[in-house]
Parts: sequence; C-alpha cells; structure tokens
Amino acid sequence: MTDQQLDCALDLMRRLPPQGIEKNLEDLIDLVPVMCEDLLASVDQPLKIAKDSRMNKDYLLCDYNRDGDSYRSPWSNEYDPPIEDGSVPSPKLRNLEKEANCAFDVYREQYFEGGISSCYFWDMGGEASFGFAGAILIKKTGDGRKGFKGSWDSIHVIEVQEKTAGRSAHYKLISTVMLWIVNNNEKSGTMDLGGSLSRQAEKDAPVTDLSSHIVNIGQMVEKMENNIRSTLDTIYFGRTRDIVNETRSIVALQDKARMDSVNKELFKALDDKNKKPVQ
Amino acid sequence: MDVTPEERVRIATDFIKAAPPGEFKEVVSDVRILLGDDSLLSKASGVFYEYATDQFTTVDLPDGERALVTKYGHIADNTFFDPRSRKSFKYDYLKNEARDVAELEESPGDEEKWRAAVDSALKPYLDECFPNHYSAVYGRVEGGEVVITVCLEDHKYNPSNFWNGKWLSRWELAFSESEGTEGVMKGMMNVKVHYYEDGNVQLLSNKTVEDRVPISTPGSVAEKLVGIIRKFEVEYQMAINENYTSMSNTTFKALRRNLPVTQSLIDWHKLHGLQVGKDIMNR
Repeated sequence: MTDQQLDCALDLMRRLPPQGIEKNLEDLIDLVPVMCEDLLASVDQPLKIAKDSRMNKDYLLCDYNRDGDSYRSPWSNEYDPPIEDGSVPSPKLRNLEKEANCAFDVYREQYFEGGISSCYFWDMGGEASFGFAGAILIKKTGDGRKGFKGSWDSIHVIEVQEKTAGRSAHYKLISTVMLWIVNNNEKSGTMDLGGSLSRQAEKDAPVTDLSSHIVNIGQMVEKMENNIRSTLDTIYFGRTRDIVNETRSIVALQDKARMDSVNKELFKALDDKNKKPVQ
Repeated sequence: MDVTPEERVRIATDFIKAAPPGEFKEVVSDVRILLGDDSLLSKASGVFYEYATDQFTTVDLPDGERALVTKYGHIADNTFFDPRSRKSFKYDYLKNEARDVAELEESPGDEEKWRAAVDSALKPYLDECFPNHYSAVYGRVEGGEVVITVCLEDHKYNPSNFWNGKWLSRWELAFSESEGTEGVMKGMMNVKVHYYEDGNVQLLSNKTVEDRVPISTPGSVAEKLVGIIRKFEVEYQMAINENYTSMSNTTFKALRRNLPVTQSLIDWHKLHGLQVGKDIMNR
C-alpha cells in the first residue's frame, strides 16, 4: 500500500454516500487488504451494539475496544468471545475508566434521554508523566414517530497528557457525530439524509487528582457535542435544504428577481434616509 | 484470501456508480489508483455509460446548444443525439465533452409533432422554475403507441465550498393517437445533495408518480402534460421542504436535547456524588 492509496481511500469515503458506509468500507478493504488496519482506525462507522450477559447491560463496539475479533465490555472489563491476554487498561486507568462510564451514563441520560454509552481508555504517555487516551461513544436511535427513522452516533477520541509538574494536563479531542434520518411518505417519496461531521479542540486544564480528568474531559465533550449539534442543525436542515432549492425554485424565478430588486431599492432608500442629516 | 479480478471490477463499478453529482472524475481517479491495474479499469468502464445516462449528464455542444446524455438519446457506442437540434455527437465520459457533431440523417417520424409541441410548451415552465436547466424531449413509436419522454436536469456545483446538488426528473407519456383516449404518464423525480466540508453529508431523495392525460391535439396534450409535471414537481419540492422542518423540529430534538431539562450545562464536579452510574459498576 502506498500513502497515495490511503489518501484515495479516505477521499473516496468522503465522497461516497455515507448511507453505504459499511459496505463501502468492506469493499475498500477487499480491494486493498493491506490497508485494513489503517482504514478501520481512520474511518468511523455507525456503532454496533453488544450485550454484556454477565452484567446484563448493552455496550458499544468500535476499533478501540477490539482485540482481534473480540470486543471488551466496559462494564465487566472482559472480552467476548473470551481471549487470552486481551489488551486491557492498567488497574489505575481501569478505575478511571469505570468512573468515566458512570459519569457519561448520567450525561447520556440528561441529553439523550435514552440510548447507550461506553467509554474505553488505554494507556499512553512516557515514563516522565501520566498520559492516556480514550474513546467516549454514544448511540441513540429514534422511536420512528411520524414516519421519521433517525439515529445519532457520537465518537469522541481524547488524548490526555499530564504535565511533568502534575498540576495540569493537556487535552486533545477529535469528535465525530454521525446523524441519520430517513423518511418515506406519499408526498415526498423517499428522503434519506445521512452522514457525519468532525471537529477538533485542544485545551490545558488544572488537575488536582485523578478525578479531575473526568471533570475536564466531561466539560470538553459536552461543549464540543453542543457545538456539533448546532452545526448539524445548520448543515443538515439548513444548508442541504438550501442546495435543493438552488436546483429548482418554488418561487417563480421572474418574481424572485423582481422581489430581489424591490428589496434592493428598499434598502437603498432606507440607507439614504439614514444618511440625511437631521434638520 | 485475495479477491478475484472479477470481484475487484465489481467493487470498482459499484464505487463509480455511487459518485455524487459533479464528482465523477474525482471518484474515477481514486478508484483507478486503488485498483492499481488499468486493464481492470477498462473492464469496469461499461459503468461510465450507465452512470452518465442514469444521471442525465449535461454537455454543451460546440455551438452552444445544451444537450443531455441519456439512454433515450443513445445511438451506438458513445454516440448520442439531441432531439431538439437533431444533432448527433460523440461523448467523452472522462472529459465530459462532445465532439464530431453531425446532423441526424433520418427524418423524424409522425411522433415529431407531439414531441415538438411538448418541447415548446415546456420552455416557459423551465424558465420559470429552473435557474440553469437542461432538457431533452424524445419521441418514439412503440407497439403502435406514441411515447414522449421528457428528461429534465438542473444542478449547482460548488466544489470550492465543498458542496454539489442535482435535480433530475423524467416524465414519460404513452398513448395511441385517437382522440378521446387517455394516455398513461409515469414520472420520476430525483434529488441528490452532497455537503463535504469537514465531513460527508448526503441527501438522497426520489419519488415516482403516475397519472392519466386525455388525448386530443398535440398543443392541448402538451399543455396538459406540462401542467401535470408542474403540479407533481411543486408538490414534491414542497414536501421535501416540509420534511426538513419536521426533521429539525421533531426528529432531531428527540435524538438529543439542546440542553438538559435543567436548562443548564452539567455540573461535572457534582457527578461523582450521583449513585446512578456507580450502582452499575459495583454489581
């Protein structure tokens, strides 16, 4: 595989309809098998759900809790199907991971009122100071009311590096939200609106104890998700709608031109009025 | 286990078929490098015809006429014709260019009076509703019936701002020329939008409809047909716009709230005290 091939694969994934993500990824891997690991690591896919039968709780699957063909549950810390020496976080990090899962469980309920969340941490950082990375995942599926089927997938990947003094840390967040909404009805036929947006953020924040990381990460993810939610609203329901209306106009184009010119005259008149000195 | 060359060609074909409006060249270029074998790309090139004709690809003839590449205008190989100007042309799929333009030798048949009437009645409607339209009205006789096929296209490409959009619709009326009968009209409307700044968002939408048109004179049938096209297209576009409002106000809100019920951001310091999550971990 060449760098160029990976670039082309990623470019292709940005152009092909996201409605076919899973099939496209499978096909890409079949086409250039050596790219498999790189693709799975760089291309976000809709999150799949598995059940932790021992803890009787659902969890989300992604590349970050995968080892070979097995996935680790954040609730029991065990792999399914079981494997020898599956990669797990260090005991110190596992405690933090448990705390994160609790905290984000509450976050998820407050914002999503349902759905599933999972947090996976892994060790990183040099010998000089503590560092780790994590993935915070959330999935919510709509109830299909009014014939609209929708689903939301959040994938937040965070990198944390404590400064050598240990009083603060540097946080780097890359977030992707996938949003899918499909509707079939008599008047509009099929309307399938889907895809994802990605954003990044970085910050330094104070650290007093290990739990500070949960606070700092939580605040960062919350701010980021609110931001992306707002952008999704603008892009999905504003921008793409505008583009549809640019290919065909509901208002007769001649009337539109007349309206535009009337508006122009109006604004010019207001401007001139404002410019006149008061007598 | 490696995939077979046939499977590689299938994958290349599927990718190219799915290229969003205005991005055919970029997708083919990516596929070419991923395939790494131009002989396989040649085998996949049958998909170029399929893609171009399915998408009602627009092409400007050297003398400025606007033409569409469709299966209704296909003569042979990569030769197509434009029914309005009665010119044939060779089409280059990768360059999106027309060359070797020539007059059609065959004279039009009886269906031409119907075709021309529809083409003529369509123009003011297109000028009113489509900012940059391309259209082609084809006429043929099949099984004793006249078949008029209307192909409409309008697109807006803005790759420097990472978006492209396209509307296409096809209206086919089949009828026998006797006055007092009804013709069957089948219509298809299709909208595709791609937005790709820091992401990949696409709208795929389509709708099929049917109706009947009473047959009398070419002029009258043409007016009625355009009236029906207008009715269906306005209804479809309005429904899309209404859906957008519903999606934003209902579906999206139900997926994730703007803010928690408390109407304020979460107090992450307080979360440690909450038992809810902890219970799950301590089982």
